[in-house]
Amino acid sequence: MVADEPTFARLMVSTQDGDKAAGNVLLTEVGVWLERYFLRRVPPHQIDDLVQEVLISFYTKRGTWDPSRPFLPWLAAIARYRWVDHLRKVYKHDSQELMEDDAVEDSEEEVVLARVSLDRLFGQLPEKQAEVIEMVKIGGLSVREAAEKTGQSESLVKVNIHRGLKKMASLVEKAD
Amino acid sequence: MNNTSNNARSRADLIAAMAEDLTPVRRVKPVEGMLLIAAATVLATVGSIAIHDFWWGLLSGDASGYFLITHGLLLVVGLASAAGVVFSAQPRVGTRGNAPAWSVAMLAIVPVAAIISMISAGGEHLHKGMNDPAAWLCTSSSLIAAVVVAGASILWLRRGAPVSIERSGWLTGIAAGSLGTLAYGITCPVDSLSHVGLWHIAPVVIAAVIGRFAVPPLIRW
Repeated sequence: MVADEPTFARLMVSTQDGDKAAGNVLLTEVGVWLERYFLRRVPPHQIDDLVQEVLISFYTKRGTWDPSRPFLPWLAAIARYRWVDHLRKVYKHDSQELMEDDAVEDSEEEVVLARVSLDRLFGQLPEKQAEVIEMVKIGGLSVREAAEKTGQSESLVKVNIHRGLKKMASLVEKAD
Repeated sequence: MNNTSNNARSRADLIAAMAEDLTPVRRVKPVEGMLLIAAATVLATVGSIAIHDFWWGLLSGDASGYFLITHGLLLVVGLASAAGVVFSAQPRVGTRGNAPAWSVAMLAIVPVAAIISMISAGGEHLHKGMNDPAAWLCTSSSLIAAVVVAGASILWLRRGAPVSIERSGWLTGIAAGSLGTLAYGITCPVDSLSHVGLWHIAPVVIAAVIGRFAVPPLIRW
Protein backbone atom coordinates (compact mmCIF):
# COMPACT_ATOMS: atom_id res chain seq x y z
CA MET A 1 0.00 0.00 0.00
CA VAL A 2 1.29 3.45 -0.88
CA ALA A 3 1.43 6.02 1.94
CA ASP A 4 -1.15 8.81 1.95
CA GLU A 5 -0.61 12.58 1.85
CA PRO A 6 -0.51 13.17 5.65
CA THR A 7 1.95 10.28 6.13
CA PHE A 8 4.18 11.57 3.35
CA ALA A 9 4.06 15.09 4.78
CA ARG A 10 4.89 13.91 8.32
CA LEU A 11 7.80 11.78 7.10
CA MET A 12 9.06 14.66 4.95
CA VAL A 13 9.15 17.09 7.88
CA SER A 14 11.27 14.57 9.84
CA THR A 15 13.46 13.95 6.79
CA GLN A 16 14.08 17.68 6.37
CA ASP A 17 15.13 17.71 10.03
CA GLY A 18 17.69 14.95 9.35
CA ASP A 19 15.85 11.90 10.77
CA LYS A 20 17.62 8.98 8.98
CA ALA A 21 14.97 6.35 9.82
CA ALA A 22 12.14 8.56 8.56
CA GLY A 23 14.26 9.34 5.49
CA ASN A 24 14.67 5.66 4.72
CA VAL A 25 10.94 4.97 4.99
CA LEU A 26 10.06 8.08 2.99
CA LEU A 27 12.49 7.30 0.16
CA THR A 28 11.12 3.77 -0.07
CA GLU A 29 7.53 4.99 -0.17
CA VAL A 30 8.39 7.71 -2.68
CA GLY A 31 10.02 5.02 -4.83
CA VAL A 32 6.76 3.02 -4.82
CA TRP A 33 4.71 6.13 -5.63
CA LEU A 34 7.04 7.02 -8.50
CA GLU A 35 6.85 3.52 -9.92
CA ARG A 36 3.09 3.97 -10.25
CA TYR A 37 3.53 7.48 -11.65
CA PHE A 38 5.81 6.28 -14.44
CA LEU A 39 3.95 3.06 -15.15
CA ARG A 40 1.89 4.50 -18.01
CA ARG A 41 4.50 7.01 -19.09
CA VAL A 42 7.64 5.02 -19.90
CA PRO A 43 8.36 1.44 -20.98
CA PRO A 44 8.62 -0.95 -18.00
CA HIS A 45 12.35 -1.59 -18.40
CA GLN A 46 13.09 2.15 -18.06
CA ILE A 47 11.00 2.77 -14.97
CA ASP A 48 13.63 1.86 -12.41
CA ASP A 49 16.32 4.14 -13.88
CA LEU A 50 13.87 7.03 -13.96
CA VAL A 51 12.69 6.32 -10.40
CA GLN A 52 16.29 6.36 -9.18
CA GLU A 53 16.96 9.63 -11.01
CA VAL A 54 13.93 11.23 -9.39
CA LEU A 55 14.91 9.87 -5.97
CA ILE A 56 18.29 11.59 -6.30
CA SER A 57 16.60 14.85 -7.39
CA PHE A 58 14.12 14.51 -4.55
CA TYR A 59 16.96 14.03 -2.07
CA THR A 60 19.05 16.91 -3.43
CA LYS A 61 16.13 19.35 -3.58
CA ARG A 62 14.31 18.28 -0.40
CA GLY A 63 14.76 21.77 1.06
CA THR A 64 12.41 23.25 -1.55
CA TRP A 65 9.29 21.62 -0.05
CA ASP A 66 7.32 24.00 2.10
CA PRO A 67 5.59 22.13 5.01
CA SER A 68 2.62 24.48 4.70
CA ARG A 69 1.92 23.13 1.22
CA PRO A 70 0.81 19.62 0.11
CA PHE A 71 3.60 17.10 -0.47
CA LEU A 72 2.32 15.03 -3.41
CA PRO A 73 1.91 17.92 -5.91
CA TRP A 74 5.49 18.93 -5.06
CA LEU A 75 6.72 15.39 -5.70
CA ALA A 76 4.64 15.14 -8.89
CA ALA A 77 6.20 18.38 -10.18
CA ILE A 78 9.70 16.97 -9.67
CA ALA A 79 8.74 13.64 -11.27
CA ARG A 80 7.22 15.44 -14.23
CA TYR A 81 10.30 17.66 -14.64
CA ARG A 82 12.58 14.61 -14.78
CA TRP A 83 10.22 12.87 -17.20
CA VAL A 84 10.23 15.88 -19.54
CA ASP A 85 14.02 15.96 -19.27
CA HIS A 86 14.03 12.30 -20.24
CA LEU A 87 11.81 13.08 -23.27
CA ARG A 88 14.10 15.92 -24.28
CA LYS A 89 17.05 13.52 -24.34
CA VAL A 90 14.98 11.11 -26.43
CA TYR A 91 14.07 13.93 -28.82
CA LYS A 92 17.71 14.96 -29.23
CA HIS A 93 18.71 11.35 -29.78
CA ASP A 94 15.98 10.91 -32.38
CA SER A 95 16.91 14.08 -34.24
CA GLN A 96 20.54 13.03 -34.45
CA GLU A 97 19.53 9.62 -35.68
CA LEU A 98 17.39 11.13 -38.42
CA MET A 99 20.23 13.34 -39.55
CA GLU A 100 22.75 10.51 -39.53
CA ASP A 101 20.91 7.60 -41.06
CA ASP A 102 17.83 6.93 -43.14
CA ALA A 103 17.33 3.50 -41.69
CA VAL A 104 15.21 3.42 -38.59
CA GLU A 105 16.30 0.93 -36.00
CA ASP A 106 14.35 -0.12 -32.99
CA SER A 107 15.70 2.01 -30.19
CA GLU A 108 14.24 1.75 -26.74
CA GLU A 109 13.85 5.52 -26.45
CA GLU A 110 11.46 5.62 -29.37
CA VAL A 111 9.07 3.47 -27.43
CA VAL A 112 8.86 6.21 -24.80
CA LEU A 113 7.28 8.66 -27.19
CA ALA A 114 5.04 5.96 -28.55
CA ARG A 115 3.53 5.54 -25.11
CA VAL A 116 3.01 9.15 -24.11
CA SER A 117 -0.74 9.56 -24.43
CA LEU A 118 -0.21 9.31 -28.14
CA ASP A 119 -3.74 9.77 -29.32
CA ARG A 120 -4.14 13.03 -27.41
CA LEU A 121 -0.77 14.34 -28.61
CA PHE A 122 -1.32 13.28 -32.21
CA GLY A 123 -4.61 15.13 -32.16
CA GLN A 124 -2.68 18.36 -31.70
CA LEU A 125 -0.23 17.76 -34.56
CA PRO A 126 -0.82 18.49 -38.26
CA GLU A 127 -2.06 15.32 -39.93
CA LYS A 128 1.06 14.88 -42.11
CA GLN A 129 3.37 15.03 -39.08
CA ALA A 130 1.28 12.60 -37.01
CA GLU A 131 1.05 10.21 -39.97
CA VAL A 132 4.80 9.87 -40.56
CA ILE A 133 5.66 9.74 -36.86
CA GLU A 134 3.20 6.90 -36.45
CA MET A 135 4.62 5.04 -39.47
CA VAL A 136 8.31 5.52 -38.72
CA LYS A 137 8.50 5.79 -34.95
CA ILE A 138 5.80 3.32 -34.03
CA GLY A 139 5.22 1.17 -37.08
CA GLY A 140 8.94 0.75 -37.68
CA LEU A 141 8.89 1.69 -41.37
CA SER A 142 11.97 3.29 -42.87
CA VAL A 143 11.88 6.91 -43.96
CA ARG A 144 11.89 5.74 -47.59
CA GLU A 145 8.94 3.39 -47.04
CA ALA A 146 6.99 6.13 -45.26
CA ALA A 147 7.76 8.49 -48.14
CA GLU A 148 6.43 5.98 -50.66
CA LYS A 149 3.28 5.32 -48.66
CA THR A 150 2.41 8.94 -48.00
CA GLY A 151 3.60 10.47 -51.25
CA GLN A 152 5.85 12.86 -49.34
CA SER A 153 9.50 13.22 -50.33
CA GLU A 154 12.06 11.57 -48.01
CA SER A 155 13.37 14.91 -46.82
CA LEU A 156 9.83 16.10 -46.12
CA VAL A 157 9.21 12.96 -44.05
CA LYS A 158 12.35 13.75 -42.03
CA VAL A 159 11.31 17.36 -41.55
CA ASN A 160 7.79 16.34 -40.52
CA ILE A 161 9.11 13.81 -37.99
CA HIS A 162 11.59 16.35 -36.65
CA ARG A 163 8.96 19.08 -36.27
CA GLY A 164 6.32 16.72 -34.94
CA LEU A 165 8.56 15.25 -32.25
CA LYS A 166 9.69 18.72 -31.24
CA LYS A 167 6.08 19.85 -30.92
CA MET A 168 5.16 16.74 -28.94
CA ALA A 169 7.98 17.33 -26.47
CA SER A 170 6.91 20.95 -26.11
CA LEU A 171 3.24 19.95 -25.59
CA VAL A 172 4.23 17.57 -22.82
CA GLU A 173 6.44 20.23 -21.25
CA LYS A 174 3.68 22.85 -21.28
CA ALA A 175 0.93 20.60 -19.95
CA ASP A 176 0.29 20.92 -16.23
CA MET B 1 13.27 -11.84 -13.21
CA ASN B 2 16.98 -11.57 -12.46
CA ASN B 3 17.00 -8.07 -13.88
CA THR B 4 14.06 -7.05 -11.71
CA SER B 5 15.73 -8.24 -8.52
CA ASN B 6 18.98 -6.47 -9.52
CA ASN B 7 17.03 -3.24 -10.01
CA ALA B 8 15.29 -3.63 -6.67
CA ARG B 9 18.64 -4.25 -4.96
CA SER B 10 20.28 -1.25 -6.61
CA ARG B 11 17.38 1.02 -5.60
CA ALA B 12 17.47 -0.33 -2.04
CA ASP B 13 21.24 0.32 -1.92
CA LEU B 14 20.72 3.86 -3.22
CA ILE B 15 18.02 4.57 -0.64
CA ALA B 16 20.15 3.11 2.17
CA ALA B 17 23.13 5.27 1.14
CA MET B 18 21.06 8.44 0.88
CA ALA B 19 19.33 7.80 4.22
CA GLU B 20 22.71 7.18 5.85
CA ASP B 21 24.03 10.54 4.58
CA LEU B 22 20.88 12.43 5.58
CA THR B 23 21.48 15.71 7.42
CA PRO B 24 19.08 18.52 8.43
CA VAL B 25 18.41 20.75 5.46
CA ARG B 26 17.77 24.48 5.33
CA ARG B 27 14.33 25.11 3.89
CA VAL B 28 14.05 27.38 0.86
CA LYS B 29 11.89 30.28 2.06
CA PRO B 30 10.33 32.68 -0.46
CA VAL B 31 10.95 35.66 1.81
CA GLU B 32 14.71 35.07 1.47
CA GLY B 33 14.37 35.17 -2.31
CA MET B 34 12.43 38.44 -2.19
CA LEU B 35 15.07 39.94 0.12
CA LEU B 36 17.87 38.79 -2.18
CA ILE B 37 16.26 40.39 -5.25
CA ALA B 38 15.40 43.53 -3.24
CA ALA B 39 19.03 43.79 -2.08
CA ALA B 40 20.25 43.42 -5.68
CA THR B 41 17.85 46.18 -6.78
CA VAL B 42 19.13 48.49 -4.02
CA LEU B 43 22.72 47.69 -5.03
CA ALA B 44 21.92 48.47 -8.69
CA THR B 45 20.25 51.73 -7.62
CA VAL B 46 23.19 52.81 -5.46
CA GLY B 47 25.60 51.93 -8.28
CA SER B 48 23.54 53.92 -10.81
CA ILE B 49 23.40 56.95 -8.51
CA ALA B 50 27.16 56.73 -7.89
CA ILE B 51 27.83 56.74 -11.63
CA HIS B 52 25.10 59.02 -13.02
CA ASP B 53 23.98 61.13 -9.99
CA PHE B 54 20.47 61.23 -8.62
CA TRP B 55 17.99 63.39 -10.56
CA TRP B 56 16.73 65.83 -7.96
CA GLY B 57 13.92 66.92 -10.24
CA LEU B 58 12.12 63.81 -9.04
CA LEU B 59 11.78 65.29 -5.54
CA SER B 60 11.38 68.95 -6.48
CA GLY B 61 8.24 68.28 -8.53
CA ASP B 62 9.88 68.84 -11.92
CA ALA B 63 9.30 65.25 -13.10
CA SER B 64 6.50 64.86 -15.63
CA GLY B 65 3.47 62.68 -15.02
CA TYR B 66 4.66 60.37 -17.83
CA PHE B 67 7.93 59.80 -16.01
CA LEU B 68 6.18 59.00 -12.71
CA ILE B 69 3.56 56.71 -14.29
CA THR B 70 6.13 54.81 -16.36
CA HIS B 71 8.42 54.20 -13.41
CA GLY B 72 5.47 53.33 -11.18
CA LEU B 73 4.45 50.69 -13.72
CA LEU B 74 8.03 49.44 -13.92
CA LEU B 75 7.90 48.96 -10.14
CA VAL B 76 4.63 46.99 -10.41
CA VAL B 77 6.02 44.80 -13.22
CA GLY B 78 9.23 44.33 -11.24
CA LEU B 79 7.39 43.24 -8.08
CA ALA B 80 5.02 40.89 -9.91
CA SER B 81 7.76 39.21 -11.94
CA ALA B 82 10.20 39.05 -9.01
CA ALA B 83 7.49 37.30 -6.96
CA GLY B 84 7.03 34.95 -9.93
CA VAL B 85 10.77 34.19 -9.95
CA VAL B 86 10.82 33.58 -6.20
CA PHE B 87 7.86 31.18 -6.20
CA SER B 88 9.00 29.35 -9.31
CA ALA B 89 11.98 28.05 -7.32
CA GLN B 90 9.61 25.70 -5.50
CA PRO B 91 8.18 22.82 -7.54
CA ARG B 92 4.42 22.85 -7.91
CA VAL B 93 1.77 21.77 -10.40
CA GLY B 94 -1.50 23.40 -11.33
CA THR B 95 -2.55 26.98 -11.87
CA ARG B 96 0.05 29.71 -11.73
CA GLY B 97 -0.52 33.36 -10.98
CA ASN B 98 -0.67 35.46 -14.13
CA ALA B 99 0.04 38.79 -12.44
CA PRO B 100 3.33 39.24 -14.37
CA ALA B 101 1.54 38.88 -17.71
CA TRP B 102 -1.15 41.42 -16.80
CA SER B 103 1.36 43.89 -15.41
CA VAL B 104 3.45 43.61 -18.60
CA ALA B 105 0.27 44.25 -20.62
CA MET B 106 -0.30 47.43 -18.60
CA LEU B 107 3.31 48.54 -19.15
CA ALA B 108 2.96 47.93 -22.90
CA ILE B 109 0.43 50.78 -23.02
CA VAL B 110 3.23 53.28 -22.40
CA PRO B 111 5.25 52.73 -25.61
CA VAL B 112 2.02 52.45 -27.61
CA ALA B 113 0.89 55.80 -26.20
CA ALA B 114 4.32 57.29 -26.96
CA ILE B 115 4.24 56.11 -30.57
CA ILE B 116 0.65 57.31 -31.12
CA SER B 117 1.50 60.67 -29.61
CA MET B 118 4.59 61.06 -31.81
CA ILE B 119 2.70 60.05 -34.95
CA SER B 120 -0.15 62.48 -34.20
CA ALA B 121 2.37 65.26 -33.64
CA GLY B 122 3.86 64.65 -37.09
CA GLY B 123 6.57 62.55 -38.74
CA GLU B 124 9.30 64.83 -37.51
CA HIS B 125 8.49 64.00 -33.88
CA LEU B 126 8.58 60.29 -34.58
CA HIS B 127 11.97 60.65 -36.26
CA LYS B 128 13.23 62.68 -33.29
CA GLY B 129 11.93 60.14 -30.79
CA MET B 130 13.57 57.24 -32.59
CA ASN B 131 16.86 59.13 -32.85
CA ASP B 132 16.90 60.29 -29.25
CA PRO B 133 20.54 61.10 -28.31
CA ALA B 134 19.99 59.72 -24.76
CA ALA B 135 18.57 56.40 -26.04
CA TRP B 136 21.79 54.44 -26.05
CA LEU B 137 22.89 55.66 -22.61
CA CYS B 138 19.51 54.88 -21.01
CA THR B 139 19.16 51.46 -22.64
CA SER B 140 22.70 50.31 -21.91
CA SER B 141 22.79 51.69 -18.34
CA SER B 142 19.45 50.06 -17.55
CA LEU B 143 20.68 46.74 -18.93
CA ILE B 144 23.87 46.96 -16.86
CA ALA B 145 21.75 47.54 -13.73
CA ALA B 146 19.54 44.63 -14.84
CA VAL B 147 22.52 42.28 -14.80
CA VAL B 148 22.80 42.75 -11.03
CA VAL B 149 19.12 41.86 -10.49
CA ALA B 150 19.36 38.95 -12.92
CA GLY B 151 22.41 37.62 -11.05
CA ALA B 152 20.47 37.55 -7.77
CA SER B 153 17.45 35.91 -9.44
CA ILE B 154 19.60 33.20 -11.03
CA LEU B 155 21.36 32.58 -7.72
CA TRP B 156 17.98 32.10 -6.08
CA LEU B 157 16.65 29.81 -8.81
CA ARG B 158 19.78 27.67 -8.62
CA ARG B 159 19.20 27.21 -4.90
CA GLY B 160 15.67 26.08 -5.59
CA ALA B 161 14.24 23.60 -8.06
CA PRO B 162 12.42 25.42 -10.89
CA VAL B 163 10.33 23.02 -12.94
CA SER B 164 9.13 25.46 -15.63
CA ILE B 165 12.50 26.48 -16.96
CA GLU B 166 11.36 28.63 -19.89
CA ARG B 167 8.84 30.51 -17.78
CA SER B 168 11.50 31.13 -15.13
CA GLY B 169 13.76 32.49 -17.88
CA TRP B 170 11.11 34.96 -19.07
CA LEU B 171 10.29 36.03 -15.51
CA THR B 172 13.96 36.54 -14.67
CA GLY B 173 14.44 38.70 -17.77
CA ILE B 174 11.32 40.78 -17.11
CA ALA B 175 12.12 41.24 -13.40
CA ALA B 176 15.73 42.17 -14.15
CA GLY B 177 14.77 44.51 -17.00
CA SER B 178 12.06 46.37 -15.08
CA LEU B 179 13.89 46.65 -11.76
CA GLY B 180 17.17 47.48 -13.53
CA THR B 181 15.49 50.25 -15.55
CA LEU B 182 13.85 51.54 -12.38
CA ALA B 183 17.26 51.57 -10.62
CA TYR B 184 18.83 53.56 -13.45
CA GLY B 185 15.69 55.59 -14.25
CA ILE B 186 15.87 57.75 -11.14
CA THR B 187 19.10 59.25 -12.46
CA CYS B 188 17.68 60.20 -15.88
CA PRO B 189 16.55 63.83 -16.26
CA VAL B 190 14.84 63.30 -19.63
CA ASP B 191 11.17 62.89 -18.74
CA SER B 192 9.24 63.31 -22.01
CA LEU B 193 6.70 60.64 -23.02
CA SER B 194 8.64 59.82 -26.18
CA HIS B 195 11.83 59.22 -24.19
CA VAL B 196 10.54 57.23 -21.21
CA GLY B 197 7.88 55.51 -23.34
CA LEU B 198 10.48 54.09 -25.71
CA TRP B 199 13.88 54.06 -24.08
CA HIS B 200 12.86 53.16 -20.54
CA ILE B 201 10.75 50.27 -21.83
CA ALA B 202 13.12 48.90 -24.48
CA PRO B 203 15.50 47.46 -21.81
CA VAL B 204 12.62 45.41 -20.35
CA VAL B 205 11.89 43.87 -23.75
CA ILE B 206 15.58 43.21 -24.45
CA ALA B 207 16.18 41.73 -20.98
CA ALA B 208 13.09 39.51 -21.29
CA VAL B 209 14.29 38.03 -24.58
CA ILE B 210 17.84 37.57 -23.25
CA GLY B 211 16.39 35.97 -20.09
CA ARG B 212 14.32 33.52 -22.11
CA PHE B 213 17.38 32.19 -23.92
CA ALA B 214 20.29 32.78 -21.52
CA VAL B 215 18.76 31.80 -18.17
CA PRO B 216 17.46 28.23 -18.82
CA PRO B 217 20.92 26.63 -19.24
CA LEU B 218 22.01 28.30 -16.01
CA ILE B 219 19.12 27.04 -13.88
CA ARG B 220 18.55 23.56 -15.31
CA TRP B 221 19.13 20.91 -12.66
